[in-house]
Amino acid sequence: MLNDILSIKNLAREEIEKAESLKEIQDLKVKYLGKKGILTGKIKSLGSIPQEDRREYGRILNEAKIYIEDLLGKYEETFNTAELNKILQTQRIDVTVPGCYIPIGRLHPTTQVLDEIIKIFTSLGFNVEEGPEIELDFYNFEALNMPKNHPARDMQDTFYISDDVVLRTHTSSVQVRVMQNNVPPLRVIAPGKVYRCDADVTHIPMFHQLEGFMVDKNITMSDLKGVLEVFIHMVFGVDTKLRFRPSFFPFTEPSAEIDISCVICKGAGCNVCKNTGWLEILGAGMINPRVFEMAGYDPEEYTGFAFGMGIERVAMLKYGIDDIRLFYENDKRFLEQF
Amino acid sequence: MKASFNWLKEFVDFKLSPEELAHALTMSGFEVEGMEEIEGDAILDINVTPNRPDCLSIIGIAREISAILGIPLNIKPVEIREQEGRGPEVEVKDPHLCQRYASRLIHGVKVAPSPEWLSKRLESHGVKAICNVVDVTNYVLMEMGQPLHAFDLDNLAGGKIIVKTAGTEKSFRTLDNEDRNLKEDMLLIWDAEKPVALAGIMGGLNTEVSSETVNVLLESAYFNPASIRPTAKGVNLTTESSYRFARGVDINNIAKALDRAVQLIAEIAGGRISQLTDIYPEPYVPLQVPVIFKKINSLLGIQIEETVVQNILSSLDLSIKREGDVLLVTPPSFRQDIQRDIDIIEEIARLYGYDKIPVTLPNIKMRPAPVNKRQDLIRAIKNSMSRSGLTEVINYSFFNPDTLDKLNVPFDDKRRNLILVKNPLKKEEAAMRTTLLPSLLNNVRLNLNRGEKALRFFEVSKVFLPSEDKLPYEAIQLAAIYNKDMSASLYGDKHDGFYDLKGAIENLLRDLIITNYRFEQDSTSVEPYMHPGKSCSVTVGGEPIGSIGTIHPRILELFDITGNLNMFEIYNVEKLLEHISFKKTFISLPKFPYVERDVAIIVSKDISAEQAQAEILNIDSDIIESVSLFDIYTGKPIPENKKSLAFSIRYRMVDKTLTDEEVDSLHSVIVERLKNTLNAEMRS
Ligand SMILES: [Zn+2]
Repeated sequence: MLNDILSIKNLAREEIEKAESLKEIQDLKVKYLGKKGILTGKIKSLGSIPQEDRREYGRILNEAKIYIEDLLGKYEETFNTAELNKILQTQRIDVTVPGCYIPIGRLHPTTQVLDEIIKIFTSLGFNVEEGPEIELDFYNFEALNMPKNHPARDMQDTFYISDDVVLRTHTSSVQVRVMQNNVPPLRVIAPGKVYRCDADVTHIPMFHQLEGFMVDKNITMSDLKGVLEVFIHMVFGVDTKLRFRPSFFPFTEPSAEIDISCVICKGAGCNVCKNTGWLEILGAGMINPRVFEMAGYDPEEYTGFAFGMGIERVAMLKYGIDDIRLFYENDKRFLEQF
Repeated sequence: MKASFNWLKEFVDFKLSPEELAHALTMSGFEVEGMEEIEGDAILDINVTPNRPDCLSIIGIAREISAILGIPLNIKPVEIREQEGRGPEVEVKDPHLCQRYASRLIHGVKVAPSPEWLSKRLESHGVKAICNVVDVTNYVLMEMGQPLHAFDLDNLAGGKIIVKTAGTEKSFRTLDNEDRNLKEDMLLIWDAEKPVALAGIMGGLNTEVSSETVNVLLESAYFNPASIRPTAKGVNLTTESSYRFARGVDINNIAKALDRAVQLIAEIAGGRISQLTDIYPEPYVPLQVPVIFKKINSLLGIQIEETVVQNILSSLDLSIKREGDVLLVTPPSFRQDIQRDIDIIEEIARLYGYDKIPVTLPNIKMRPAPVNKRQDLIRAIKNSMSRSGLTEVINYSFFNPDTLDKLNVPFDDKRRNLILVKNPLKKEEAAMRTTLLPSLLNNVRLNLNRGEKALRFFEVSKVFLPSEDKLPYEAIQLAAIYNKDMSASLYGDKHDGFYDLKGAIENLLRDLIITNYRFEQDSTSVEPYMHPGKSCSVTVGGEPIGSIGTIHPRILELFDITGNLNMFEIYNVEKLLEHISFKKTFISLPKFPYVERDVAIIVSKDISAEQAQAEILNIDSDIIESVSLFDIYTGKPIPENKKSLAFSIRYRMVDKTLTDEEVDSLHSVIVERLKNTLNAEMRS
């Protein structure tokens, strides 16, 4: 009897293992476990087994059933997966076709550089202030210690709207406006467009500047050096060297021109730095007491520093752009590089 | 200013190479911008800042070198032999415009070409050699910084000089043979009858030294910078002389320079020298500037010793007297830029060396950073635009006013109220922009001409409109333009570019959490340059804030642009600030599921999607959660003049699950309503 069951089990295993398709497995399931299946028949005839053997016989029969079921299930799963894979294979796509992407819009390189610089100074506690682009002669020149007929006015070619209204030639025009409306301590940056009417073909009539200034009791020229060093190191890397040279601006005194070690050749000398190893990047100085007087501050009480830079200049050095005119021509191929 | 290396060495005995000298000058505030080797000499091109007119000469630069290097300055004394009688008769009628006038006569000169050393030196500094007498005046100008002028004495009526303003004189011919228009208050040099020079700027043709000249009157004067500058500007003439007078020459150097020139003329061209006439009614009084010693260190952030300060100041010819904590400093007459303590502190810093100033960070109090809403808004707009696939352009703030004609802008439109630039270099810079559109059209044209396609640009910039105030109103405008490339559409993106830009605006408004906006179409175009059927205004809270549409094909032709172009403008983005709800409030997520039903209707083409949607939403029921359009169709089998609209309606109750019966009964109400109010047919 027992042998009978074992041989059924072995035969079933042999047949299942030989099966080559889902169909054959399904047929084998019917053959052994179906209503009229071989094993089902044996289970049905369990009643005719003598009482004393029935329990043991039943257990073995059940074991064989579970074994065959499991084995069938395993093969069924294998054949199912294979069939599905065959279908999926027919659905193959060409993955080299370009993706369907949402076009990426870029921000203008001037905006990107300006944002970076603004972020640095706001992280140092500076506020962003603005002033009008069409400005009174007073704020653009006079309040900055450049009275009418001052020779320093020759340093900037000015677009005039009327005799006392100009297109601002620098963002320094924001200084006295802010001072008049606030009390120190002040930490301010003023980014924006500025205008010069230079007929030279390599010059552009509009560009961007960022003015920064700080006013408090006890601000020193060494503080100016410190703040600008932090800034330059954040933009161009901590290896960049700074050089402060005496210069002249009517609204600062002492005034300085700040050079950085050439970012292209690292100081060895190249075209960009005209073989000097240095690049002019910032103008700065201690705020001239006359400017404080114009703003109604007591120059004996407060000191401060101011600095200004051309944003396109920083962008050109950062990205290696060699012609400033490219900035506002707005060629897509230029804009999409940044 | 150009300065010869060898010439400088005649006055200071330094041991530097030209490169080393250039570096030393650059690091003390005299940037050497170029250097040129000429026959064993080097010509340095030095940038002399406007505050240092005393360095617009070889001796001036040499004096600076002597201070920087601590080497003495050697200037040989001038020796002349007066041979012939009294100096010229001079009358200064406007002494506040001419504070000093010195002159001498030289009789019997032989005008001839200059000796080689002289003409070569002039030419190496970019000055053309003319004849010995004139060349000497130019030589002394370069050497000592004092402009001089030589008159042909025999052409001076009455042999005398009168210094007075132009008055009623209208025109004067300068020696470059140009007629200069005069203004009443311009200072002239006259003889007994007529003007003979534009004081301090250029001599007259009538008294020019020529090859026939035998007797010369030589002028060395101090003209008020406040008079020279407007005059030079007024006649539009800048000369080596006017440049120096406008910045201020050394009033104590006037007679010395005259004698130096007279000495050289006598040496080179011969002649007998008269006595000196020197009209100098109010001699120079030196200034005494007090400097609190402590302030030097506290402003610069250094610890400098007093002896170092004293050495620096005396090397610059500044004399010092100590009174308690205060240094009383007297600058020499050639340093008129030094007037206040700060000017002296700057000189100390300059010669002490900026590189020796330490690097520190300011000691400051913490405080909250104020919010700049305008700046935040601009940044949010730019980010939103770029996320919608638009690339930022920045254009010049000017435009050519003729563009408004091309855009068909009516004459009473406020964009016609232009702010004009008084001195533009070209027509494109003649007016400040009142709209960004023309610039964007130019950007599209330039890129199309260069073969670029699929152009999607935006700009956020100011436009300028007249106002009641002294300064115009500066509005921040946003404009975008889209030249859709219909040919290249791999994924079937064939819809009108209008909707791409509309999507960008809707994205922006959603980014800013502005919900009360509408796109309102009229029977005519919203802007004169837009397609009448494909344009509308954008309103927020019922107020028009901008427009969107397709550019009229006629306008495109005028701008030489082919293809289809859509654009939008937000006239003044600051208006959006009023509508932004900065507060974000959480709404609980629904707990019960929704049921969705679609409805497809056939309606007349005039009925807008918004109208149909409103009909559904207007039904008085709180279980309609949302209605969204998912299909528009025209063409067979839909009759002409009709279109099919398909909406998906989502129903939900907040407190229980809806039954099919509840949904079905409301849905049939909706269907009935659409039939009745829109004359809609149901599409099966
Ligand atoms: Zn370099």
